[in-house]
Amino acid sequence: MRISEEEIRKLTLEAMSELGERATPELVKKVVEKSVAKIGSAPGKIQSDTFDSGRIILTAFGLDHAGIIAKITQAIADAECDIRDMSQKILDVFFTLIMIIDISNSPKDLKEIQTDMNKIAEEMNIKVFMQHEDLFRFMHRI
Amino acid sequence: MPYEFEEILETIKMTEIEHFDIRTVTLGISLRDCVDRNIEITKQKIYDKILKYGKNHVKYAKEVEDQYGLSIANKRIAVTPISIPFDHFKRDDFVEIAKTLDKAAEEIGIDFIAGFSALVQKGFTNGERELIESIPYALSQTKRVCSSVNVASTKAGINMDAVNLMAEAIKKTAELTKDQNSIGCAKLVVYCNVPEDNPFVAGAFHGISEPEVVLNVGISGPGVVLDAIKSAGKTDLQSLAEVIKRTVFKITRAGELVGRKVAEKHGVPFGIVDISLAPTPAEGDSIADILIAMGVEDVGAPGTTAALAMLNDSVKKAGLMASSSVGGMSGAFIPVSEDQGMIRAVQKGHLTIEKLEAMTAVCSVGLDMIAVPGDTPTSTIAGIIADECAIGMINNKTTAVRIIPAYGKKVGDTVDYGGLLGLAPIMKVSNLSCENFVGRGGRVPAPTGSLTN
Repeated sequence: MRISEEEIRKLTLEAMSELGERATPELVKKVVEKSVAKIGSAPGKIQSDTFDSGRIILTAFGLDHAGIIAKITQAIADAECDIRDMSQKILDVFFTLIMIIDISNSPKDLKEIQTDMNKIAEEMNIKVFMQHEDLFRFMHRI
Repeated sequence: MPYEFEEILETIKMTEIEHFDIRTVTLGISLRDCVDRNIEITKQKIYDKILKYGKNHVKYAKEVEDQYGLSIANKRIAVTPISIPFDHFKRDDFVEIAKTLDKAAEEIGIDFIAGFSALVQKGFTNGERELIESIPYALSQTKRVCSSVNVASTKAGINMDAVNLMAEAIKKTAELTKDQNSIGCAKLVVYCNVPEDNPFVAGAFHGISEPEVVLNVGISGPGVVLDAIKSAGKTDLQSLAEVIKRTVFKITRAGELVGRKVAEKHGVPFGIVDISLAPTPAEGDSIADILIAMGVEDVGAPGTTAALAMLNDSVKKAGLMASSSVGGMSGAFIPVSEDQGMIRAVQKGHLTIEKLEAMTAVCSVGLDMIAVPGDTPTSTIAGIIADECAIGMINNKTTAVRIIPAYGKKVGDTVDYGGLLGLAPIMKVSNLSCENFVGRGGRVPAPTGSLTN
């Protein structure tokens, strides 16, 4: 990963304020070099506006019947995912569910969880979509 | 909840019902370091380099598709205009290079590779002449290679010699691929003011000012815009422009996100988002239907050009706001064979080449995917190209011609390519001759930048 000059400058200023009175040019240089090397070797830590929040938006639709939420939440619990928010509405006979799920601590990846959900969708005769939160953030937030 | 119920449903509706997809993620690869005196070594270098950067292109794109639940219709590759690094080769060598590109594309698992190109708006090098001569053979002996040649620009004028050569190349390509309805011509674009970062095949290439490797994205989404216009109901034109802009803004943002993610996976820089509305032959994914929804009876009716101009401008404005990396064509495409509504308008006799030409003055590309009778004289094709170049040259915009003189076909026939290339009804071309004009050769001088009335 490449670190911009701007970031190095910030890092230097921070190191100086942190070291306070002990700050000598040599010491600051050492601290900054060490931090730069540390950041540089951290894998996949690219700071960009496509920052990965690890959150997924799950949307489910279909004709309402008993046990839909139970099935879905069970699968989420089995995958060790955390439900962050949930909203459900019944419009006439139509069931809609939207959930925000944090999958960053799950041993499964998105693809595997999607496969699980597709099975449930088929079983319950509903549609389940799982999409990364970034898509919604990019489309609906400036 | 950080998002409104309606916002989430809107995105789901776009991706699931309205055919919103990312039209293409195109990996641009420079081949400038693949030169060798020996053609065999050159071929090997080209193959190795494309494989080196491109081998995971399809895989990465699929991973991003799954992550966002957003489909990416095409994964493609664009290379440096072949005539530039390989200028010292002869016609047959260029055909061999085309075959190498084809083989590399097949190995990677993509349907098209573009960049069998030359930039000759001011004049030819020897290699560029050889390349243009090789185009019909290259396109008839490969499946995936696409070619484009820039013959005019606002700064240089129109190279009429190149226009004539390209008209010949188009006729020859049609003949050599006559067993497949002259499909070779669908992979050949003649340009004025070509953009160097266009991700849309067939006219894509990796421009000479581009970095070693770059990832560009072309969005799509006529279906989304169509539905937005329909649900807007009866509003005045300013409000309608707002509706279009709001919708395009969202799809551009999604396009940029996808592009950045795919580029991140490749570990290459992200280039541009091309915010063109690109139709597909799927029902509802049509620019013509948008124009009809805006209020014209059918494409070709008076008012069509104005409606298209407004659509095109709204698309650009929204895209520019949504992304700081807008490039390529960025507008609305009006290919005939790839758009159900356009096909219908031609078949009903509502849309003629002349009206289409007027429309190209305000849209982002030009006479795209139009089939004409196989016996159309070469000079007439040159005239059509020259007209289109003139529109681009004078108006400081990109224009292109992708014309198919379908071998052995007449007005009333249709040629069916299937897939994304669609179905092309043969359009009537004026019988009047321009032979004595285009036959003069030379160059139409570059236009003045003042007195622009």
